[in-house]
Amino acid sequence: MALGRTAVGFDEGAPLLEAKEVQVTVGRKAILESASLSLERGELVAVVGPNGAGKSTFARAFCGLRRPNAGEVRWKGVPLSSLRGRRLAEVRAYVPQRAQVPTGVTVEAAVNIGRSTHLKPLQGLTSHDRDAVADSIARARLEGFEDRDLSTLSGGEMQRVQIAIALAQGAPVLVADEPTAQLDLGATAAIAKMLRELVAEGMGVVLIVHDLALAGAIADRVVVMSHGRSIATGTPGAVLTSELISEVWGVEAELVHREGRSALHVEWLEGR
Amino acid sequence: MLAALVVAVCASLAFGAVHIPLGEVFDTLLGRQVPEASKQIIEVLRLPRTVEAIVVGAALGVAGACLQGALNNPLASPDVIGVTGGAGFGAMLIILLYPGSVALLPVSALVFGLLAAFMVFLIGFAGRGGGNITRIILAGIAVAALFSAATAGLMSAYPDRVPNGIFFLVGGLTSTGWDTLETVWPYFAVGFVLAAFMIRPLDRLMLGDDVAASLGSRPRLIRLTAALAAAVLAAAAASVAGLLAFLGLVIPHLIRLLGGTNNHTFVVPVSALAGAALLTGADTLARTIASPHEMPVGPFLVLLGVPLFLWLLRKAV
Repeated sequence: MALGRTAVGFDEGAPLLEAKEVQVTVGRKAILESASLSLERGELVAVVGPNGAGKSTFARAFCGLRRPNAGEVRWKGVPLSSLRGRRLAEVRAYVPQRAQVPTGVTVEAAVNIGRSTHLKPLQGLTSHDRDAVADSIARARLEGFEDRDLSTLSGGEMQRVQIAIALAQGAPVLVADEPTAQLDLGATAAIAKMLRELVAEGMGVVLIVHDLALAGAIADRVVVMSHGRSIATGTPGAVLTSELISEVWGVEAELVHREGRSALHVEWLEGR
Repeated sequence: MLAALVVAVCASLAFGAVHIPLGEVFDTLLGRQVPEASKQIIEVLRLPRTVEAIVVGAALGVAGACLQGALNNPLASPDVIGVTGGAGFGAMLIILLYPGSVALLPVSALVFGLLAAFMVFLIGFAGRGGGNITRIILAGIAVAALFSAATAGLMSAYPDRVPNGIFFLVGGLTSTGWDTLETVWPYFAVGFVLAAFMIRPLDRLMLGDDVAASLGSRPRLIRLTAALAAAVLAAAAASVAGLLAFLGLVIPHLIRLLGGTNNHTFVVPVSALAGAALLTGADTLARTIASPHEMPVGPFLVLLGVPLFLWLLRKAV
């Protein structure tokens, strides 16, 4: 452990995240063929693609939750393979798709657990850590919810708690897997706004998302994935063309941007 | 809870077949002049027994809390990872086959308790998909059944010696001085230290494997280490006091229900205090209530604990 800590230092000039041709195999079958992504400070990158395209696997791989079989991942210039434990938690926070919701845990206690990456074993929270927890709760718009039991929260509230836990880690990168998947329109908009605020603070955000209209509206760049490969990267306007949507999703649709509003115009049923 | 423990410890030292005033108890502990008889009773009989009750109670409380956290399952207790079945077999092996070497009983119980847990971990954690909770629990039940069957086989082969083993199987403390603790204390020490370092990781695990991984922990390693701590504590406890696994199941639940929180920073240490207090108190009652006869504390504990537990359960859920 001491070796890892002395041997590598983060390069503040390097991109926050660089993932190149990442591959994940199960047995002999590649469930992720080759996916690439880069992330700078103050940038929101959306990863889009059909079900089973490998979006979540890709995110788990570059976050260090499952070992990539090939390819290269660097966080602030440091190879993922030399980052472990606290060092990895220092650079990125991962918000899972389906979070486990324990009973008998308050919002504040959960966010305290998120802060625990800053503590030595058996050490308690300092006043500085408590401030950081309060700040994370405020940024996730959860003031007034501190003493609520997690099991009493709505889906949108629970998702904001997950983000608050991640923020308490104090990492410059937030990777969120489908944070809006189960949420209604209002809760989705609240999460979208919050993520943009984090980006405005200088954080880097990777958002795995199905909703192309949402991706088109809030992402600086999108990465399109299909059959285990990242096949296109660029600004939403340049990448999410009708041709590409037709090719990847097999649906005739058009992403429309007008006066700060976005919509996906879909031809649901041919000729009707 | 600390107050309850202090009361239980005082009662345990003062009451027994011979009542010794608290003043004399303190004088003995502080090394002051007291009647020789009282001094003997306290130093040779009651103090070791009280310390045993504290350590075993705390160990079972912590073991239960760690296992329930590690397996994310409220039904988990030292039974589930095979420790109880293994320790029972180890003890009966000595009692039934080698009744002359009864001094080896604690060691045999400890060794077979750990062996059973080791088998469960080997099946539950090794290879692809290792650490899967269902796999660990099913492996535990299977291994426990194996050792129970072996125990039953031994018992039917030596039916005349079975009564000697009853006391161990139902669980109880004896006034046999410091010998057992002197042998097994390192296991308690290792178990408690491991458990203390697992408190925060278990809190992370409570938020899900992915969140724990986001925070830089390895879920599988947390599960294995916490279960190992529980196995060592439960096996050491069984070697001292027989099979009291019920305590390990119920204490953490009592604490969660009473405290209204599932945070391990609260549940683990308070379970230690509560386990120690309950076992010390129950043991004192068990050996005084029908004095000079001693009831084994195991069944007594169950009689005492179950109504309290059921009442709390009804109130909470």
